[in-house]
Amino acid sequence: MTSIVRARGLTKRYPGVTALDGVDLDLPAGRVGLVGANGAGKTTLFRLLLGLCRPDAGTIEVFGIPVADDPISVRSRIGYMPEHDCLPLDQTAADVVATFGELGGLPVRAARQRASEVLDLVGLDEARFRPVGGFSTGMRQRTKLAQAIVADPKLVLLDEPTAGLDPSGREEMLALVARLSGFGIAVVLATHLLDDVARVCDHVVMLDAGRLVTDAPTTSLLRQTGTVTVDVGPGAAPALTAALAGRGLQVGTDEVGLLEVTVATDADLDAIRDVVSDLGLPLHRLTNRLTSLDEVFVHRAPAS
Amino acid sequence: MSTGVVSTGGAVYDRGYRPYDGPLGGRRAATTALYRTSLRRAIGLRRPWRQKVAPFVLLTIAVLPAVINVGIAYLTRDSPSPDFSFFTYREYVGVSSALLLFVALVAPDLVCPDRRQRVLPLIFARPVTGADYALAKVGAIFTCVFAFSFLPQVVLYVGHLLVSKGALDYLRANTAVLWQVPVAVALLALFYALLGVAVASLSGRRIVAGATLLGITLVSSTVAAILVDANRVRPGPGHGNPAGLLNILALPLYVRDLVFLGHLSPDSPLSGVTGGGVLAVLCYLAVVLGCAAVLLVRYRSAEL
Repeated sequence: MTSIVRARGLTKRYPGVTALDGVDLDLPAGRVGLVGANGAGKTTLFRLLLGLCRPDAGTIEVFGIPVADDPISVRSRIGYMPEHDCLPLDQTAADVVATFGELGGLPVRAARQRASEVLDLVGLDEARFRPVGGFSTGMRQRTKLAQAIVADPKLVLLDEPTAGLDPSGREEMLALVARLSGFGIAVVLATHLLDDVARVCDHVVMLDAGRLVTDAPTTSLLRQTGTVTVDVGPGAAPALTAALAGRGLQVGTDEVGLLEVTVATDADLDAIRDVVSDLGLPLHRLTNRLTSLDEVFVHRAPAS
Repeated sequence: MSTGVVSTGGAVYDRGYRPYDGPLGGRRAATTALYRTSLRRAIGLRRPWRQKVAPFVLLTIAVLPAVINVGIAYLTRDSPSPDFSFFTYREYVGVSSALLLFVALVAPDLVCPDRRQRVLPLIFARPVTGADYALAKVGAIFTCVFAFSFLPQVVLYVGHLLVSKGALDYLRANTAVLWQVPVAVALLALFYALLGVAVASLSGRRIVAGATLLGITLVSSTVAAILVDANRVRPGPGHGNPAGLLNILALPLYVRDLVFLGHLSPDSPLSGVTGGGVLAVLCYLAVVLGCAAVLLVRYRSAEL
């Protein structure tokens, strides 16, 4: 596995707070989720990656280039979407994206052409000649994403791209992010929404109070829990619970009221099937329940 | 990457994302792009008509005296009036207060929104340094002030050349201005550009930055005028006072006199001051270098 980002002993301190404390990282290409609570050090890591601040100790390389030695070369390979508002409000989306394309090194004509293409890609083709100041939060987030990818970066850093979006806007943004790696653009997605990471990213880095908690493939973290989720429709749960308990199975409910049954062997699964059949209930769903990233985070970073 | 969905009426294409395989510039290209964008903004291109008013009113105000001057020269070419004296090329450099107003309007407009709307982190995530940013902004203002000061001189020169009875004689008699005018105008434009952008860089609000620039110039010229008059040994030319150096707007005019005359003008507030020319050049350099230092420190800290 080739690392696109490699950090060793990375430490960054601000007055009164240690933002990153001796972090070692090897981020693969693909979609990496950088998760942690507010103040965990995610944005500081981005700033270090871009050479916008210097580490107090340790080294960081992007595509094998030491950031401290050549930040300009690193920046020319990276697109960045900050969390905060950062767009010139009196300019049109087309002008903003084209300008940042030119700043990324594109020739003028190519910048305007690619601005049009990426605005089309993010769903702003019809709004591209409107001033950004009149955009909704979702449209501004899309414009920020467009400017981040307009110069065809090899890596894009997305800082809380779904912040402030309504559920449908969030779905659309995550779908866009999921498409990026298919275009040959590696993604590092910083967020405190673990569900976003579980859905989009194939590698997870967890930070807590500046320390590395986990750096692992998403699939290795989402393990089977030894329980199955059973959905037999509304109103039937009490009868099923009683019947399963009668067979000696341990039954509970999850946060949305679905039954969770502890299974040790295949015989337990057969027992569930038989009980549902005997009661004449419709079996909508019988699935292994995986650990959530929230559980992983809470388990591995108890201090937070 | 192009997929077509054919229907009876036509085809809908998802153009997707196309990687860019053309030439990609580096730091110099990014700085040039920032300069180009700033210049466009300064003269109101791709902006509402209101933003175009200031530069073109300035241009009109700057060119009008030259047009009137040439017109009078044309009308009186056969019977020159001894009571009318045409202004000289030296006098025409930097006398219009419209230049100051233009800088007070445009310099804050180029830098304050970047800070206030938090665009700077996005700019510095590209292959651009703080020094590059300052250079691009100063360069844009310099270009405007130079153009708006130089163009009227061209009108004046070409007009007199055409109106004069002997064009070759006029050319021979005024050869020196061919280098004196561009040099003096460049020194004036550099001074205004650095001063304007440096003052504007200290605030995120355009109105505050513009008012501060006008305030500095107004206060310095008023204080200098009071001190010069109060300490003048005798009234009239040749009895100036070093307090004239306090007038920040007069510094480029002293340097202009040195370019055209080789010494200070007898009408100058510094006239008669021992080493007045050297002091004027030193003060000019101090302001220019001081402003450059302010910009470098200001944007270096914004970058990091």
